[in-house]
Amino acid sequence: MNARFASALMRTLLLQASWNYDRMVGVGMAHASEPLLRDLPGGREGARYREAMHRATQFFNTHPYMGGMAVGAVARAEHQGLPGDQVRRLRHALIGPLGSVGDRLMWAGVLPAAVGVGLVVMATVSPLAGVVSFLVAYNVVHLAIRWWALRAGWRSGPAIAQELTAGSIQRGLRVVGPLAAVAVGFALPVVADWLAEDFLVRTRLSIGLVAALAIVFSRWIVPTFGTLRFGLVAAALALVVGWLW
Amino acid sequence: MIETLAWLFLWGTVVGLDLVSVGQVMIARPLVAGTVAGAIAGDPIGGATVGAVLELFALDVLPVGAVRYPDYGLGAVAAAATAAGAPGALGTGVGVCVGLGVAYLGEVGIRAVRGLNTADVRYRRDALDAGNAAVVRGTQLRGLMRDALRSAVVTALGLGIAALVYRWPPVTVRGAVLVTLVLIGAALGAGATGGMRLSGRGVHLRWFAAGVLAGVAWVFVT
Repeated sequence: MNARFASALMRTLLLQASWNYDRMVGVGMAHASEPLLRDLPGGREGARYREAMHRATQFFNTHPYMGGMAVGAVARAEHQGLPGDQVRRLRHALIGPLGSVGDRLMWAGVLPAAVGVGLVVMATVSPLAGVVSFLVAYNVVHLAIRWWALRAGWRSGPAIAQELTAGSIQRGLRVVGPLAAVAVGFALPVVADWLAEDFLVRTRLSIGLVAALAIVFSRWIVPTFGTLRFGLVAAALALVVGWLW
Repeated sequence: MIETLAWLFLWGTVVGLDLVSVGQVMIARPLVAGTVAGAIAGDPIGGATVGAVLELFALDVLPVGAVRYPDYGLGAVAAAATAAGAPGALGTGVGVCVGLGVAYLGEVGIRAVRGLNTADVRYRRDALDAGNAAVVRGTQLRGLMRDALRSAVVTALGLGIAALVYRWPPVTVRGAVLVTLVLIGAALGAGATGGMRLSGRGVHLRWFAAGVLAGVAWVFVT
């Protein structure tokens, strides 16, 4: 089973390869689950394998790093011989909690925290040190989460809820939010100082004024506009003025 | 020159794949993609600078569910290629302009790839529903190939735009400085907005404010 577990783990890296609007990561889930389903009674030609693969290809969406937990839990449920309806309900029940935990833990926690660390190191030490510190800080957690998620799912099967409510996850969620907020907050003035080091004080004040306008515009005036569109508008205006000047 | 462009093209294609389809080990973050692209182009500091500016814009992105988001990694590759070799702040602003445009092109490309993937799974619905492992593998592979093609095309467009801007600069030196300061300001505003959005309205916002104050103190002390 170890080789198949490793194969499933590697395949979770491709969970979103065929992301689509109908089944979202359903096909990716089937691809990652397949090594764990091969030794169902009857083997790859058996009815249980085909039925399990049929269920695995249906609609599913989750955070890509937590997807392994669903892969493991559902594969274990298939091995335990749960009726098809119960396996289907288990899959549906996992969509919300896994997405929520993954988004809060990684996208709103570990990622901005690691970005904050990377930017500060980049500004105060060197660009290369910034890149390395960001990649190491982020991927140590990322790869550990992927490995843990698949193992926890495979170990617990249908009783997967206990893993999500375990103390370590809840503690991680409590810690990572404030950590990300502090890291991003700390990084902003440090990076601002680094980016503006070639400018005189008056020019630095102009940068601060533009930043204040950007905050007011994108947070309160048109919050749905998005910072990319704001950036594109600012770039177009600056290019026109810069061209005429 | 050709060898540098070939390496940048290869790097951009890999970066584009990392965004969604393969691994998500975050080499697609602009601070990584821009610095490495800058190093390939012979200007790691210039690449890191445009990467950091685009990273501030990217802080506002939360890639949850079916949300559409710009491909700032491909933007950073094009931005670094544009900024490479320009002295000081001169290349930063114009490079970031190119980077923002390419990031938008990357977003359009992601929508197209998702649409094609949807058509593919609809066409193969019966085989997928039958649990055919070969069809599952093929669908995954075709999805990967589409995303690789998207990344390659957007990278090539970005490098083409960078070459045009390098050959015919759109602004004078004075204009380039103006563009740089406006975009650094806009990026800092975007980063602050992203930080506040991540923090929400509760106690995390106070942690964010504490971080900003600590950062300001650090800047004045050092």
